[in-house]
Amino acid sequence: MIRLMIKRWPLGLSLMGLLLLSACASEPVPPTKALQAAELAITNAEQARVADYASPELGVARDKMAAANSAVLVQDMVLAERLANQARVEAELALAKAQMAKAKVVNDDMLKSNKSLKQEMQRNPGAQ
Amino acid sequence: MNAQHHVRHLLSAAAFSWLLVGCSAAPKQPEGADTVRNKLTQLQSDPQLATRAPVAIKEAEVAVRAAEQPSQDLALGQHLVLMADRKVETARARAQTRLTEDERKALSEQRETARLDSRTREADRAHRDVSALQREIAELNAKETERGLVVTLGDLLFETGRSELKGNATNNLQTLVAFLNRYPERSVTIEGHTDSVGSREANFDLSQRRADAVRFYLQNQGIASNRLMTAGKGEETPIASNSSASGRQLNRRVEIIIANSPVTVGH
Repeated sequence: MIRLMIKRWPLGLSLMGLLLLSACASEPVPPTKALQAAELAITNAEQARVADYASPELGVARDKMAAANSAVLVQDMVLAERLANQARVEAELALAKAQMAKAKVVNDDMLKSNKSLKQEMQRNPGAQ
Repeated sequence: MNAQHHVRHLLSAAAFSWLLVGCSAAPKQPEGADTVRNKLTQLQSDPQLATRAPVAIKEAEVAVRAAEQPSQDLALGQHLVLMADRKVETARARAQTRLTEDERKALSEQRETARLDSRTREADRAHRDVSALQREIAELNAKETERGLVVTLGDLLFETGRSELKGNATNNLQTLVAFLNRYPERSVTIEGHTDSVGSREANFDLSQRRADAVRFYLQNQGIASNRLMTAGKGEETPIASNSSASGRQLNRRVEIIIANSPVTVGH
């Protein structure tokens, strides 16, 4: 009986230990989804050559991304998720601003060429 | 249970009195939420932008509403305000981008109009040029015939019996040069004619030399020689009677026949 008990104890202990371990591991879950979304938004902005048009916003997004990763390391997952979400919206704003600036450049070019076309016409007013 | 109820009543009464004084402890909107709301309202009431990014504006609206929720968690409140602010900014940027793209259509239409205008002007100019030329040809007394446009240069070009161009003859010919320069696809036949004074052979010879003199002059003015043909017609084709001095004067002439070509010069 005693031997059996002794035999069973380690099993019970190890089970308990396992439970404890898994409980420990599952408590602070990194905000993987938010981090990935932020990472993706930053990559999108980088690929759209946003740095040429809206670099401050993109810089802020990168800083917040780094801060989010630091928060994961110190296991402050609430903060990590907030920072990741902020990084995402900053990157999205950077992209939107860059697209706005690009669209304006195209229009300005068109305006300029229209203007020079008109000037050209005024310089050559028909009769010789 | 009863005691708890009582306490709750007391608390709400206290809260009420605080509200009357000016509540400060009750959970309130995070700082900056009203600013973000104003930004969004401005965007939504901008007739140019409001309709141009409906999805982004709706997302911003949701974010602003979340930021407006009274909360005691200051950090959460600030986080939500920031999220809302960036979403409003993003929506504005997207709407502005769309507006810029829409304006592009008008710009390219303007460009087309400008191009059309310049083309119309060019056509007008070409038309004016043709009209000017018609006047010049008319001044040369050109006649439309089956052989083409015939310009008759009177005997003013040459001294009697001579084949050198007179000094003032070049004024007349200059108009012809201008015409040939403007219509490089046209070629001309230069025909010399004489009156009946003198021998037939001598008149043939003289008429050919006069035609050649005109051809030489035109060539010197830069008209390609392959566009210039000459013929000495002598006294064979009179246009008036040789029995009178005035008739003979009319017969002493050089005719420039401008071949018909796709370029038409009207009357």
